[in-house]
Amino acid sequence: MPFDPSLAWDSLPRMLFGLANTVGITALTLVLGLAMAIPVTLARMSPRRIFRLPAAWFVMFFRGTPALILMYLVYYGLAQLPSIHDGPLWPIFANAFACAVIGLALNHASYLVEILRGGLEAVPAGLVEASAALGISPRQTYQWVRLPLAMRYALKAYQNEVIGFTKGTAVVGVITVVDLTATANEVFERTYDPVTPMLTAAVLYWCLINLMRIGFEFADRRLNRHLAAEEQRRRKPVAASLQPALARWTGLAAPNTERAL
Amino acid sequence: MLISASEAGYFQQLARGAVITMELAVSGYILALIGGAVVGLVTLLPNRAIQAVWRVYASIVMGVPSLLVIFLFYYGGGTLLGGIIDITPFEAGLTALVVVYTVYVAELVRGAMRNVPRGQFEATAALAIRPVGAWLHVIMPQVVRLALPGLVNIWMIVLKDTALVSLAGLNDLVSHAKTAAGATKEPFIFFIAAALFFVVFSAVTLRFSARLEARFGRGLAVAKA
Repeated sequence: MPFDPSLAWDSLPRMLFGLANTVGITALTLVLGLAMAIPVTLARMSPRRIFRLPAAWFVMFFRGTPALILMYLVYYGLAQLPSIHDGPLWPIFANAFACAVIGLALNHASYLVEILRGGLEAVPAGLVEASAALGISPRQTYQWVRLPLAMRYALKAYQNEVIGFTKGTAVVGVITVVDLTATANEVFERTYDPVTPMLTAAVLYWCLINLMRIGFEFADRRLNRHLAAEEQRRRKPVAASLQPALARWTGLAAPNTERAL
Repeated sequence: MLISASEAGYFQQLARGAVITMELAVSGYILALIGGAVVGLVTLLPNRAIQAVWRVYASIVMGVPSLLVIFLFYYGGGTLLGGIIDITPFEAGLTALVVVYTVYVAELVRGAMRNVPRGQFEATAALAIRPVGAWLHVIMPQVVRLALPGLVNIWMIVLKDTALVSLAGLNDLVSHAKTAAGATKEPFIFFIAAALFFVVFSAVTLRFSARLEARFGRGLAVAKA
């Protein structure tokens, strides 16, 4: 494979700068996405149609649209509307970096709404009823019973979504934000070597994604530490007895110790 | 906003691009489905070497943006093949999507296989059902049921990822929308039109998948109530 280590080494400082931009966009999108998702989730779960329907449309539109089109729409499309172009927020919408974060955050928020809703709805009704029977106020029930449980239920889905959109930030290059992928493209255009910069960028992305995964696994262990003992007890015997049953039928066997990637 | 005659022409181009987008999404998804099912079954073999290679490979593919994989195949594909063949954007995009989503489908199939209760295997043994029949009529329907929500999810992601192939020069819906936006100075309407295409298709998918899930879950409904 025509991989050029010296070019990879020389371009590393620029690549790391691109990576820093990718991380910055990811972090800002996380915060802004969460800030958007909370009110929309509450509206989505509201018993009143007047709140529920617009929230459902929000989710349907921004979840169904590719991030690439959202980039174009926020950066080029909104500039065409007089209310934006002449409005007080124009300095924000004229900035490519801000537009990238807004576009990605809308996409992220719409996924987050469904994840939060799924987590909150998975809390057994009996627990909420029990708190009410014990005279605990609805607000406290929400804070100390529903939210902590919902966080636990939703963590895995949240992890998948965060890691998914981090990889999705690669599209911000199309509106002139110089992230890691855009840097790799720049190096390619100057050196006519496509393989080296793309593979260097791939290695850096891989490190970032796996660091995030380790962080999430740490959070998972912390939130679910009360389950650790039971998990071990449960996993071993089942996996051990599954193996021969599978193997007998097929020659296939279930690997038992492996965790999902 | 009124649509002029020249804009109507651009919308025809958009429709032609949409056909290419759908071709890419559907062929990429079907190939990834076949590849993922095969790879998922093979990597369940109790062989240490296969397990180790799979874990490394899956980690690499799942840790890298698909846009980067598309660029790698498009710009680097010619070099990697020794410069003999020129790769078209469609081929590069299709290869990249299949390579990436085969891994996701395979992981899903592996998870579904492991989640079929072991009592089902034991029951088929106890009832002396032949292996082929047990797989066709007992195990596989359950694997499909367990994997279905994930497969629908992957279809939606593949559909949206085809938009990225426009960045490798494919004349699909998105690239036509971009051309039209630049030429008419009306970016808003064309990008909204492109967005709505994807939104409508994911809404249709959700409808269809709800029916599929009801169909595959038909044995469960009674037990749950």
